[in-house]
Amino acid sequence: MQLAVNILVLASIYALIACGYVLIYRVSRVLSLAHGELMMLGAYGLYATASLFSGHPWIAIGAAVGLAAAVGVAVYLALMWRMTGESVLAAVLATIALGILLRGAMILAFGTQTQHPLRDLGWQNASLDLGGARISAVALTLVISTVVVYGALALFLRASRWGIRMRAAGQHPLLAAQRGIGLHGIYALAWGLATLTGGLAGMLIAADAGLESTLVIIGLKAFPAALVGGLDSLVGALAGSLIIAAAEVLLIHYVDPLLSEVVPFVVLLVMLVIRPWGLFGTREELDRV
Amino acid sequence: MKKMLFTMLTAVLPLGAAQAQDAYVLGVSGAMTGPVAGNYAPVVEAMKAYLEHVNSRGGINGRQVRVVVLDDQAQPSRAAANAKQLLAQEGVLMLINSSLSSTYAPMVAESKRAGVPLYFAGAVCPTETYPPADPLQFCSTAFGARLDSQAALGFIRKNAKESVRLGLAAMAIPISRGEIDYAEGLSKTMGMTPVEKQITPPPTPDYTPFATRLKDASPNWMWSWAPWVAQVRTFEAMRRLGWQGSYVTWAHLNAEEELARIKDPGFYVIGTNALLEDDLPIHAEIRAVAAKARLSHPVSYLTEGFVAGLVLEQVLRNTPWPPAPQKVLAAMNNVKVDLKGLRGGPLEWTKDNHFRTRQHYRVWRWDPQANRIVRAQDWQAIEVKR
Repeated sequence: MQLAVNILVLASIYALIACGYVLIYRVSRVLSLAHGELMMLGAYGLYATASLFSGHPWIAIGAAVGLAAAVGVAVYLALMWRMTGESVLAAVLATIALGILLRGAMILAFGTQTQHPLRDLGWQNASLDLGGARISAVALTLVISTVVVYGALALFLRASRWGIRMRAAGQHPLLAAQRGIGLHGIYALAWGLATLTGGLAGMLIAADAGLESTLVIIGLKAFPAALVGGLDSLVGALAGSLIIAAAEVLLIHYVDPLLSEVVPFVVLLVMLVIRPWGLFGTREELDRV
Repeated sequence: MKKMLFTMLTAVLPLGAAQAQDAYVLGVSGAMTGPVAGNYAPVVEAMKAYLEHVNSRGGINGRQVRVVVLDDQAQPSRAAANAKQLLAQEGVLMLINSSLSSTYAPMVAESKRAGVPLYFAGAVCPTETYPPADPLQFCSTAFGARLDSQAALGFIRKNAKESVRLGLAAMAIPISRGEIDYAEGLSKTMGMTPVEKQITPPPTPDYTPFATRLKDASPNWMWSWAPWVAQVRTFEAMRRLGWQGSYVTWAHLNAEEELARIKDPGFYVIGTNALLEDDLPIHAEIRAVAAKARLSHPVSYLTEGFVAGLVLEQVLRNTPWPPAPQKVLAAMNNVKVDLKGLRGGPLEWTKDNHFRTRQHYRVWRWDPQANRIVRAQDWQAIEVKR
């Protein structure tokens, strides 16, 4: 049972992060390599709001989540907008530059010390019993958040007007624009949602394990999960996260913990050889990559 | 016109070279930014602040000390470029490394090429500083491979109420793995049973899968020697899984702050630097210097940098003016530094031993009754002979 819980928690971490990669790629065909940094910025946002609204944890969390979405929209308006019409490579390079800039800025602004946003919120990370297995309160919140985020996104993309527009823009931007859909608005929304979900992942990881600059690398570790599932599929991101997490946890437990570091990339390589567009990805779309 | 030309020429002449004639110039290549900066930047900043404090009191031998700090972001290529720049442009008397071990090789090469001593401050002491030492490499950093495991396992053996089932935790970096492998072997010779060893990748999003395997092996004691993140996350994950044993780990810069955060009586830190809790007269000086220099790091992070500052002060005091790398080297080969209680005894370097002749260890834990950090073991000395 403990193994199942461990897999579920790790899969939720990867899925919540991978969701941002997928949202941006699916809508704009841009691979955001600043996602790890934006995720960390979300976590630092919580650290900042927890200090700012000391004694009011829910306000702090609400403000941090709002801030994360606003940062995503701002990134699009300030930088990625200019990339519209440019080659995909130029856009990807812009996200790399953005990531380097954010990393430096965060060190300058917040220093290099490990921070503990949960303590600053005045909360403790209790250990809970889940049918004989143990899970921390924050890890349970992370699992629930992942379910809620994916459920809400599925509903949004299928049933809401903006969601349908977003899918249309992702499938055929020219046709969507000709039908009167404002692409910049859609792209800004995608960046906002992606940064919100990534930021949420960052906040929850930081609340569970502390906030430090290595969080960026964890952001990159979710990348194979998104690719294995298919870079333009949210269902794929879920499946990919589950596969990678299961492989990691089972290897740690039954074989050698050191293999956990390489197994995501082994799975990814196998997938790229057998099915380069991923489990649930669209073949023609990934051919363009 | 001639006067104007002269003024322009003097203005563009290298400032460093001019200053080098009037001051002891030291060059640091450190991980001041980047993912591991938290371990090194406080050391460099505290060391620099202490030497500025010395300057404000009149300097050393009537001369000022100038410290040139270059950021290598823990990247070997940057460390190599920094070392070249420090030697060629700044004409430093000594190179100082405060960064990851991957930056050592290029700096060692530059140090050898120029015949300038290389001092590791806050960075892991390379084996070349242990006896028989490399002629150019020196180290004052608190932790020492093998010695730390000897001290920690000695503490465990002394305090265990039943036979020791030992769990071991490391990070997947060579130095940490090497130490834990050594501890595993050593524990057997000390009558302990090593039951599980976990090596975590740097970094990992969730330590619970690693902790699960450790907990399942039912150790009653754990020893972890790794970067703080791996040590403490493994411990916290094990506690959440319901593990009740005792956990001994290395006292990194943030140990004092973390003991107060974790507040677990079964969580021990072993180290060679005194904690602020000891409230020594030198701690008041550290607080004053930190406030004056407006250091952003907590005062409890600064001890290692102050130790380096005290060492440099003593070495330069023994270096007659005008200084040269060879004179500095001679001073380093025979120095005994009074660390004013920041460690269990003086730091002594000899011609063959550039680590220290004696390493003193203390152990601390959180006492829930007293609601403060307490000593679990006072200074215990280990002779450094190998």
